[in-house]
This record gives sequence, C-alpha cells and structure tokens, in this order.
Amino acid sequence: MDWWVLLLIQIAVIIAAPFAVAVLLGIDRIVTARMQNRVGPPVWQTLYDFFKLVGKKPMLLNRPQVIFAMLYLTFSVFAFVLFVFGLDLIIIFFASAAGSVFLVVGAFSVRSPYSHMGANRELLQITAYEPVLLLALLTIGIQGGSFVVTDLYKAGDLILTLPLVFVALIVVLVIKTQKSPYDVATAHQEIVSGPYVEYSGPYLAMTKLGHWFELALIFGIFTLFFNSDNLLVSALVKLLLIAVALLVAQIVDNATARLTKERMIKFTASFGIIAIVANYTVIYILQSAGVI
Amino acid sequence: MTLIEKSRVKSPWVLHFDTGSCNGCDIEILACLTPKYDVERFGILNKGNPKHADVLLVTGPVSKRAKERLKRLYEQMPSPKMVIACGTCACTGGVFHNCYNIEQGVDKVIPVDVYVPGCAAKPEAIIDGVIEALTKLQKLQEESHRKKEVK
Repeated sequence: MDWWVLLLIQIAVIIAAPFAVAVLLGIDRIVTARMQNRVGPPVWQTLYDFFKLVGKKPMLLNRPQVIFAMLYLTFSVFAFVLFVFGLDLIIIFFASAAGSVFLVVGAFSVRSPYSHMGANRELLQITAYEPVLLLALLTIGIQGGSFVVTDLYKAGDLILTLPLVFVALIVVLVIKTQKSPYDVATAHQEIVSGPYVEYSGPYLAMTKLGHWFELALIFGIFTLFFNSDNLLVSALVKLLLIAVALLVAQIVDNATARLTKERMIKFTASFGIIAIVANYTVIYILQSAGVI
Repeated sequence: MTLIEKSRVKSPWVLHFDTGSCNGCDIEILACLTPKYDVERFGILNKGNPKHADVLLVTGPVSKRAKERLKRLYEQMPSPKMVIACGTCACTGGVFHNCYNIEQGVDKVIPVDVYVPGCAAKPEAIIDGVIEALTKLQKLQEESHRKKEVK
C-alpha cells in the first residue's frame, strides 16, 4: 500500500472514530432499554445530545476549568492518534493516563463539593483500572513480541493465548464506560455527575468528546486480540470482539447495583491482576515446556 | 433547521424541582421513567443538575422558602431553556391558593412556557407537556430564522 493511501485511511479513522463510538453508545442505550423491557431512544441519540450541548450558551466558573477540559480532550485525541498511527503501546498508555488526570484537575479547579467528591472518586477509579490496563498491555506486548501497534497487528490470535487478559479488560471497559457496579465517579443521582457537575453546554460537550476518544482507544486495544491475513475476516472478528465486550459490560450493568469505591479497588486489584498474571504464567509454562 | 436546532428538539434533559408539592405529581413524574411510559424514547433524560438541563419541570405551589432556590436553579440553567409548571399547584397555587406562605404558582417567580394541569398530573399529560414545550421551542427557532430573513 502506498504511504499516502495509508495516511488517508488513518486520518479517516481518526475523524470517524468519535462518531462510531457515539453510534455504538446509542446502540448500547437501545440494548439496555430492551433488556429493561423499554423501547429506548433512537440510535443517533448520543449525537443529538452532543450537538445540543454544542449549541447551548457557554457558561463557565473560571478559565482554568475550560483549559483543563481542553487538555483532557487533547490528550485523549493524542493517545488515539498515536494508536492509529501504530506507535508504542506504553507511550499511548501514558498519554491516555495524562488525559484522565486533567479531567480530575478540572473537577478540582471549582469549589463545588460534588465536583470534589467526583474528582476524588475519579482518582480512585484511575488507581483501580490503570494497573490492570498497564499489566494487560505489558502481557499483550510480551506475548505479541513487540509494543509497537503496527507489529502487534501481525501478531496472530492473541485471544487464544490471552483469554483472561481479554476478560480483565472488560472490567476496565465497565469502569471506563461509567457502568454499574463501578460507576462510582459519575454516580448519576447520588453525586449528580461527579467530575462533570460544573461543566455545562459546549464545555460539557468537550469532555464528552474526550470520553469518546478514550473509549475509542479501549476498543482499539480490544481489536489487537485477533489478526488474520484475510482483511474481511480480520475486520469482522475485531468488530465481534468489541460487540462481545460491550454486551458483557451491559449485562453486568443491568444485573448489578452500584458498589462502593473500596470494593471496586479490591475487585480490580484482586481479580484483574490475578487473572492476567495467572494467564501469563500458564502460557509461559506451556511455552517453556514446548506444548504450544 | 440546522443540525443543532434539530438536536435541541431531540434531546431535552429534564431537571425536576419540588417547590413544596404533596409528592403526588413527583410520583407521576417518576412513573414517566418506568418501562410503561419510557420517556427515554423521546431522548428525555432525568438529570439532577441544572447546568446539564434544558427543561425545568416544577411541581408544587412555590413556598416562600423555595422561591429563592427556584430562581437560582432557573438562572443556573444555560439557555435555551424551557419551564414546565406541572400540576394544578404549580399552575395557580391549587388548593393552597391565597395561603399566607406561598406564591400562587410558578409563573409569579420565573417565566413559564407550558402549563400541565391535573391533581395529580397524569404521566401522559406530563409527557405531552414536555413535547408541547419542544414544539414551542421549534416554533421560536423558526421565527428567529424568519426575522433574520426579513432583516
């Protein structure tokens, strides 16, 4: 493939990603509604919400708040762009982590107690999922033979060797999509909407867009688990992996109530890390013994 | 109609405020969220935050204590915003009319766009009220377009 064709495809993916995630979240809302025996909103609902927020009158409490929202968006986009251009997973991870931290700082920059409580909980969420995500990326890197995304797309079927890593990443997805039982930071009516409480109109839209890019990155990591020489099969199975992960997250969301932040950290620290370490240990022993 | 204007009509986020109601209307509002009525199919979401809300749904006859809070919530909502007075008490003061401690209805404190009568207002009537508010918003948008063309 010529370099400019590839570049055009990459730019198209970056522009299309937030819309794709928005439509995916719309489907997510419909499926949730059907699980609760409701009709549910149109597929484009999340996009309507976004454009409505863009068109509202801007209201802000202080300038830093907007700057932090912008930085959150910038770093989320930056991490995703690095991923699409096929660079190092570890750098992508740190860029994405910097983005989440700016959301917390933005929430701390106002005086609202709800915002502070949300920021504290967001930090706890980061401490909960970040080690699991980092370990998962490390395992993918070691098993795939490289940390560079372009090489990992030639690494074969990681889902067969690292199934528990995939399961652990679903836990990360549940936290990232703000679903029960671990939606402790946004916590709909309990602390209103946590770190987002003092953002309104276009600035809220900015944080939403940042969130979509973060989710796009997580979905991107899910696509690393399957690669085939046949481009069509590869794309279909990648989409299937994302759909399965999202469906499991939805079932968990609808079947559980919100748990406390302590239990979130206990669960991710125990289940997530143990699952990944156990998976890698078994694979290592099998590979050393020459079974696979 | 531009994309943003269409989105406004398609995605009303509701803030519910009780200014001293008997909770009859509030229970009916909660009934709207249940699978039987399912307001989410119109894009309506119940937000507990004035800064995220587009529609202020007020119940109750507005007691003197609630007056200042109602004003503050209204001012915290970014425009364009709609106000719906839900239930007879919110419309006129209802059975509390001329009581010493209330302000005869929401429209004495903040501008109201749609009145939903009933004691308590039925869920169907509340949903109809929200849709009515959206129709009014759409008309206002179209009028502003026409004014621009005349200029």
